[in-house]
Amino acid sequence: MTSLRAVTLQLLNRLRDDSADIDAEYVVAPSSIAEAAAILAAAAEAGIPTAFRGSGTHQGYGTPVSADLVVTTTRLDSIIDWQPDDLTVVVQAGVLIDALEATIATRRQTAVLPEGVPGSTVGGAIAIGLSGYRRLRYGPTRDRVLQVRMATGYGKVVAGGSPVVKSSTGYGLPRLVTGSLGSLGMIGDVTLKLWSQPMSVATVEVGDASAALRDLYRPLAVLETSEGSFTYLGGPEAQISEQSARLGAAARRGLVWPEPITEPVQLEFRVPAAYVADAVEWIRRLGAVRWVAQHGVGIVSGGFEDFDVEGFTAARSWAESVAGAFVVTSGFGETFDPWGSPPSSVGIQRRIKDVFDPAGICNPSILAGNL
Amino acid sequence: MDTATELIELLGEARVHTHPIDRQIYAKDAGVSVGDPAIIVLPETTEEVAAIMRIAVQADVPVVARGAGTGLAGGAVPTQGSILVVLTRMNEVYEVDEIGRTAWVGPGVINLDLSNTLTVFGLHFAPDPSSEQSSTVGGNTATNAGGPHCLAEGSTIAHVLGVEVVTADGDVVMLGGAAPDLPGYDLRGLIVGSEGTLGIVTRVLVRLTKNPPNVATMLIAFSDINDAARTVSDIISSGLVPAALEIMDRSMVQAIENFVKADLPLDAAAVLLAEVVGHADGVAAEAEIIRGVAEQNRATEIRTATDDSERALLWKGRKSAFGAVAQAAPDYYLNDAVVPRTRFVEVLEEIYGIADQHGLRLMSVFHAGDGNLHPLVSYDAAEPGMKERVIAASAEMVRVAVAAGGTLSGEHGIGLEKREMMSQVFTADDLDAQARVREAFDADGRLNPGKVLPEGSRCFDRPPR
Repeated sequence: MTSLRAVTLQLLNRLRDDSADIDAEYVVAPSSIAEAAAILAAAAEAGIPTAFRGSGTHQGYGTPVSADLVVTTTRLDSIIDWQPDDLTVVVQAGVLIDALEATIATRRQTAVLPEGVPGSTVGGAIAIGLSGYRRLRYGPTRDRVLQVRMATGYGKVVAGGSPVVKSSTGYGLPRLVTGSLGSLGMIGDVTLKLWSQPMSVATVEVGDASAALRDLYRPLAVLETSEGSFTYLGGPEAQISEQSARLGAAARRGLVWPEPITEPVQLEFRVPAAYVADAVEWIRRLGAVRWVAQHGVGIVSGGFEDFDVEGFTAARSWAESVAGAFVVTSGFGETFDPWGSPPSSVGIQRRIKDVFDPAGICNPSILAGNL
Repeated sequence: MDTATELIELLGEARVHTHPIDRQIYAKDAGVSVGDPAIIVLPETTEEVAAIMRIAVQADVPVVARGAGTGLAGGAVPTQGSILVVLTRMNEVYEVDEIGRTAWVGPGVINLDLSNTLTVFGLHFAPDPSSEQSSTVGGNTATNAGGPHCLAEGSTIAHVLGVEVVTADGDVVMLGGAAPDLPGYDLRGLIVGSEGTLGIVTRVLVRLTKNPPNVATMLIAFSDINDAARTVSDIISSGLVPAALEIMDRSMVQAIENFVKADLPLDAAAVLLAEVVGHADGVAAEAEIIRGVAEQNRATEIRTATDDSERALLWKGRKSAFGAVAQAAPDYYLNDAVVPRTRFVEVLEEIYGIADQHGLRLMSVFHAGDGNLHPLVSYDAAEPGMKERVIAASAEMVRVAVAAGGTLSGEHGIGLEKREMMSQVFTADDLDAQARVREAFDADGRLNPGKVLPEGSRCFDRPPR
């Protein structure tokens, strides 16, 4: 086994990418999914724990992973096929979200990927399962991943889903892979469903976010933040004027999103939408420096200067008591599980992990329940 | 004790059927495949479903779940001497959360009944398949059903937040929930659209959609289907996402007018139904934009309805399509292949060519906004060899759609019907990955065997049951 491991590492050396400052024995940057699959086949054979990396903006998300090999998507950086009239784009995992959005904005389209994560890659956002604020209007990111091509933990190139905007053809692999944090393999490219941008957009400051959500039909987002409450509108001009009149406030042109949360400790309440107001109470009481609550969605995220084990433990037990979760997304200590209690389906979850990553090499234990 | 006796002990005689007539009644869905269930059971609770599953495990018999049986792909056809679990009695709406806009419902709740129940809250369940008057939420979940309004709202997958599932071992697990992005894999996302092969859904947490304050429906006629297609493209690239964009072609319009007087323009080559929703001023503005686009693309007639009765009249033709087809001939067959929207005109032409070659009568009504075709062949199955000819022609039509960059099914599912076509869109490695998913949920292949994945999908196949 040792010699196989040595030979594998030698081969990996040929794909070595030292340009990034990454703390791992080997860092490689495959230039195709087939190469990624070959690397994973070798790593599985030799039992080398492997991590995946896009641009590194969210490294550390999930339970900490120690890996000897890091596979990056830096060389998978092309927009392969954009079909504006079909509202689809095929894009490699390493493409930056900002670059993709800027390209498709030339035809007034959007992939509705998260706003305010500068430098993050498409593959990274999908691996984490990140959605942006416009989720209220357009649904979560995973609803727009139509097809995924990946290198599995057992070293094969596998495509799942369909390349068209609507499908009931086989199992929903794109949904499984979205949010799987590289625990099943590496995402190579994805086909995304696009939306046309609304004709005009506006931001309106409101007094009461819950009331705004109740009274408006289809706002893009309703956010309550430590700096005030805001409603985001999109549609024909007439619709925007009508809605801002209804809110009794002046509309500012454009979408002004909250500044990204940058405090060292970051966490999220993920609760049923009916509990957003309670989660806001909790995050205030915990002493968040800045926070953003997504009304109608159920995510309340905040930034903290310090880690408060006692407070966070209490908050977690409340969130779990309302069938939600309390997830620390950045800056947790060694002793605090970022995810909390494993899901009740952990048995099936474990079997899913095992069939896609039989050697257990892909981001080992990164997910809830040590998957 | 034999299996039937055990099941009678569990459910009582009234809810266990083995009589040949019952077995015949439950042998098929609304498609063309026929099976033969060994035993039909009608559970009323999750615990009963779990107990049925444990009995099936003990006896080593396969289990097939079924709702109203409106499926068209044979997904609920009981093959291999299975126990057929009919879920229609589990039809309770448990909890409606008006603020969070969710409800827990039994799998046997009928789609349209659910939306009607919710009228008082100003909410509805967005998936609206043509079968909405009889299909169940459980069946919608199994097939990831769509409907005209999933253009803007998404298919069933976007409206099912959580599911309670009886697993192949007879355990009960909860997947997903009302909270977003719960830790762990999105197993809910796998269950929806898995056609009863990964578990039996015993409760569904549905996402509810606010009823639009205002609606405008437009019926737009064209003398050339290309003009209709361009209108659809231009509407979407203008930034509008209408609630629905449906096209009926000439032969469909004529069949409908023969059936009901829906006052459709008989000389039109294509009729487009477009619907926009929102606040009053927004709706008026959007309708105006659509009118402009349609006129630019040489629309021959535009009617706009803004009140409910006018709207109902415009939709009447579209909603009568299946009745019209039934009147034209005793049987019909349709597939629901999807193509990239920009290719539908050329694909439709090829599809009509195929029908001509086989001497079949074809008409078409489809979800133009998302390229989901529904070429409908009306025929008489009593004519010798006819059914086989129709199925062969339909397979050719699906092949054409796939060749244009499309896929096998947009909203009906694969079932038995398109199972052998799966290798047109997936490689052996792709199918193996899907078979791995199935193995993770159901290592013994007990649930709905012989559906969705073709024989031999898993690299090391277990011997067939």
